[in-house]
Amino acid sequence: MATAFMKWLERRPALYDRGIRWLTFFRLATLQRGIAEQYATPGVHALEIGCGTGALTAEMAQRGAEVVAIDFAASMLAQAEIRLAHEGLLAHVSLKLMDATEITDLTDDAPFDLIVSSLAFSEMTPPAQAYILRACRGLLAPEGRVVILDESTPSNPVSRFVIGLIRLPLRFLTWVLTRATTQPLSNFPQLKTGAGYDLVSVQSSLGGALKVWVIRPAARGAGGDRAVILGRLQDKVTLRTRLIDLWALFLRIIPPYPKIQPGLYTVGEPDGNAPLLVTGNFELTVRRLVHAIDGKLDAWVLVADSAGINVWCAAGGGFLTAEKIIGALHMSGADSILNHRAMILPELCANGVDGWKIRRETGWGVHWGPIKAKDIPAYLREGRKKTDAMRWVSFPLKDRLEMVTVTLGFYGLLLLVPIAIFWRGIFFPAAASLLGVSYFYAVFMPWIPGRDGLAKAVPLSVITLLGLSAYTLVVDPVSPYAFFKRALGILAMSIFTSAELQGMSPLMRGEQANWVWEGVIAGILGLISWLVPSVLGWR
Amino acid sequence: MSGAPPLKSLLQEHWELAQTLRHLQIHFDAERCKGVGQCYEVCPVGCWAPDPARQKVVFHDGERCIACGACVLQCPEDAIVLE
Repeated sequence: MATAFMKWLERRPALYDRGIRWLTFFRLATLQRGIAEQYATPGVHALEIGCGTGALTAEMAQRGAEVVAIDFAASMLAQAEIRLAHEGLLAHVSLKLMDATEITDLTDDAPFDLIVSSLAFSEMTPPAQAYILRACRGLLAPEGRVVILDESTPSNPVSRFVIGLIRLPLRFLTWVLTRATTQPLSNFPQLKTGAGYDLVSVQSSLGGALKVWVIRPAARGAGGDRAVILGRLQDKVTLRTRLIDLWALFLRIIPPYPKIQPGLYTVGEPDGNAPLLVTGNFELTVRRLVHAIDGKLDAWVLVADSAGINVWCAAGGGFLTAEKIIGALHMSGADSILNHRAMILPELCANGVDGWKIRRETGWGVHWGPIKAKDIPAYLREGRKKTDAMRWVSFPLKDRLEMVTVTLGFYGLLLLVPIAIFWRGIFFPAAASLLGVSYFYAVFMPWIPGRDGLAKAVPLSVITLLGLSAYTLVVDPVSPYAFFKRALGILAMSIFTSAELQGMSPLMRGEQANWVWEGVIAGILGLISWLVPSVLGWR
Repeated sequence: MSGAPPLKSLLQEHWELAQTLRHLQIHFDAERCKGVGQCYEVCPVGCWAPDPARQKVVFHDGERCIACGACVLQCPEDAIVLE
């Protein structure tokens, strides 16, 4: 249900457009027009990084510029295409679906007289910002300019507070549409200097909350050391990690997902020959990886941006891709400190990360590591050889209990909160049954016959109905009508639990496979609950 | 500006996703297989087994397949299709 709502919002980039226009008090459009008027003169060859819905793109194309516009969100690009087609400007714009970290692929289109970016840099991590600015140097024509319009932090505390409030809904919208979180570009002066640029001009708007920076490549070039090591990861338990664990145990499905900054980290004291392990940026994933290897081996850990989602789900959902890993590798500058060219990827991201693309485009070797981080030391000791036990997923009791708790955190809120509000009388029986059925199912799942969650729903329902009958007979005898209602309730709950908890098991397909049948079964149960009492005259 | 997608198309999308997820099956073209073995490397449920003598892999357990698509993506010979 929540997924459906998100999907609905995601299809509405128009909302984003309107939201942004509104939240910047219409200043954004003015600034964009100003950039186009000043720099997008006829014949100018421009690159736009993160074109979004194409507002600035259209302004530039209208004034005769030839624009290559890239964005990593397909929904945004679709909206940009509609806008540009509507204004008859498509012939002057080439829209490309790509991540900004891939812009070095644009050498065929380069050189550009102008590279612009509006509200895109604030969605990137600092290493990505630095990497992309450096890459822009190689794409610019000799007298070329980079123009960046983005959020900054006002110097006045009152403006800072007001702007902070206003940014909240904007951040939510951006997150829904692109799964990116934004951070004002407060350190732009240092950023541009490090990437090898001089400031040409800066324009400030909304009390300093929006800024337009115009920069040009400096003669001195970019700073020397390319490798960016973000820090050393250690296996430590702190109050913060405990709180995150607690949140993740019950509400892992609900954003914001705890995540860490993507980039290159060390574990132990690795040298140039130490292995490079790649993972996603879900905080729990990184911490479990570090827990498994810290003290046992020295390694480099390259954290790619998986939108704070675990590697398997992120790869399946298109949030962790070969492009993200290539981008992370480029940004880290790992090739300047490592003597080898071999990366170890988690086996469970192979469903969405094209290993051959990484091999082709980076020249690095891609090795699919074990499923579980705890097997990494043994895997490396054996010279990157996996046993079948390391290769295959299992779903032991501990994992089943963890996952059922995770799932219950979400469904518990979804089902029990409305019941507590509208149907208080059945709250305790409903909560007890939901917990009982779910944990029973989680514990006995391997022995309940049935290939998938729907098939397992049949034996599970028989067991729960028998349990309910025994309870009613022995402990709490009630009228046939009351028993009928209880039975229907426990039946619905058993089927729902079994069908939905399919999604928590790595050994079964996604629970979405059952949604249609769940709907049909709910309809039939509804019909029974209405027909049977009428026929038997229980009302 | 375009409006919200009608509820019908959203339901249809979920219906199709559900149908696809239920019915997806591996189709393996053994002719194309050169025995690279990436499918075996990445299959988390053990559907594939290497056959070094013939320089091929063997698809031996479709029942376990969870339709994750890893083997399809990693096969350099396009010998595996999931549909």
